[in-house]
Amino acid sequence: MRRYKPLLPVFAIYVILLIIGATTPGLWQPIMFIMFYIGIGVALNNFLGLTGYVDFGYVAFLAMGAYGMAVALNYFTELGFGAVALGFFLALLFSALLCIAVGGVALRLRGAYFAIATIGVNEGLRYLIEGARIWGGSEGIVLSGKLRKAFGPDFANYLSTFVADVCLIIVIFVASVITIYLINSRVGYALLALREDEDAAKVVGINVTKYKLIAFFTSAAIGSLIGASAWTLKLTYVFPEDVFFIHYTVEAIVIVMLGGAGTLLGPVISGLIYGALKYYLSVILPGFQLLAFAPLLIIIVVAFPDGIVGYVRKKLRGKSLFEYIR
Amino acid sequence: MEMLFVKDLESGYGEMQVLWGINLKVEKGSITTILGPNGAGKSTTLKTIFGMIKPWKGVVEFKGEDATTLPPHKKVEEGITMVPEGRHLFPNMTVEENLVLGAYTKRAMDALDKSLDLVYSLFPVLKERSRQKAGTLSGGEQQMVAIARALMTNPELILMDEPSQGLAPKLVAEVFDTVLKLREEGLTILLVEQNVYASLEISDYAYILNEGRVAVEGTVDEIRESDEVKRAYVGV
Repeated sequence: MRRYKPLLPVFAIYVILLIIGATTPGLWQPIMFIMFYIGIGVALNNFLGLTGYVDFGYVAFLAMGAYGMAVALNYFTELGFGAVALGFFLALLFSALLCIAVGGVALRLRGAYFAIATIGVNEGLRYLIEGARIWGGSEGIVLSGKLRKAFGPDFANYLSTFVADVCLIIVIFVASVITIYLINSRVGYALLALREDEDAAKVVGINVTKYKLIAFFTSAAIGSLIGASAWTLKLTYVFPEDVFFIHYTVEAIVIVMLGGAGTLLGPVISGLIYGALKYYLSVILPGFQLLAFAPLLIIIVVAFPDGIVGYVRKKLRGKSLFEYIR
Repeated sequence: MEMLFVKDLESGYGEMQVLWGINLKVEKGSITTILGPNGAGKSTTLKTIFGMIKPWKGVVEFKGEDATTLPPHKKVEEGITMVPEGRHLFPNMTVEENLVLGAYTKRAMDALDKSLDLVYSLFPVLKERSRQKAGTLSGGEQQMVAIARALMTNPELILMDEPSQGLAPKLVAEVFDTVLKLREEGLTILLVEQNVYASLEISDYAYILNEGRVAVEGTVDEIRESDEVKRAYVGV
């Protein structure tokens, strides 16, 4: 169990955040906003952080999740809660299919070429859905009316407020457990080796393709569950220009790098910082939040090139707290 | 007994063919060297044998069994490993972490303690440096870590791609001494080198490649006498 100690501070942060949100009037929505950013950070970290591959098309997996849930709720509304379960299943299925398509082609590429190819996948998929009028094309899928008619306004409301938030919270807890499992297992050592030097990993007998795919599928699956709960269930609509918006990918990458790529605690802390700053800057300086954000991010990235947690770990080396920070 | 047998091996990069039918044999317990001018296909030969580049045609047999299409990680499990050109260490890990990660396969983990003892007896300096980050070592020490890490995979055959590259002359001699010691340990070595005369000193058999084909082969004495060496390297 010693190796799972680093989960303690992570879970402590989650629980404290949720308690603050639940007990302070008006803070639940900001907390869920922050939890979303923690979630995409933790999810992307399982791929970008552990393999070193920069996926600029990551938001496409959230989009697949959002569409999976939307398709289930839109076409199988009569199943009730069953439709929600089906939605999560379709979210995983769609993202796995996209994984196979992207993994088969783009994961053969390295470095910048991989990043560019993934942008292409994201944009290509979005224009395919809009152009071919799949799932409503550019008009998207709007569920609120349908849900109200089928379930009544109370239950529909309950779905989009309570159920959506609980699902997101569960996904985030599970995602962190998966991260620590990956880091501690043989898979983690293989990923560490291939992140440091892919050719070196090959000569010591590591099947690099297999481990890249494991990280890719894991990260995509978590992303799709976040898309399904935080977007479709909560907002009750899906528009392609929203769910394929590349801005979310960039934000997730920033969170991973800022917190410390490949660490467990990193994306949690930086997701918290990023989400809170974004929320309050948009209140204090509406419209200017991104302008204030850029210099702040540059300063932090220059000051902590290994990310916040990388920096803290270096300072704590040899101390008893060290084994709690990963 | 033949450790490695390569027949009519062809491969290349993309559309460009580099190897045009390589034939070679490596006897168990020997040091075999591949020489040749730049661009002759020496490194490509090693990479194709190891599976980093897919063979287009031909046969690679390891200990009498076909291994032509085995990917690198399977070859390591069978007992082949490679010391890549330019060392390719895990720079942010300590020396010991590099070594232990070298024993990733099941075959290697079963022999972990034995391999670690062997490595530290061959390279006492690495024991002193075991907690140091690999990226902070000198070039010669890094080369030793690269060879040591290869030993950690518990191999029978080691493919070495220019181990003396970029090292000071004194260190070059040290690396070649190490290769000799590996043979004494019963290992088989296939070496690619630019350093012709130093590598012939320690080799049992040599091949000279030219434009993707074997131009000359023979025992070290035969090669020394051959005009091909002079032609290939001196250009007369």
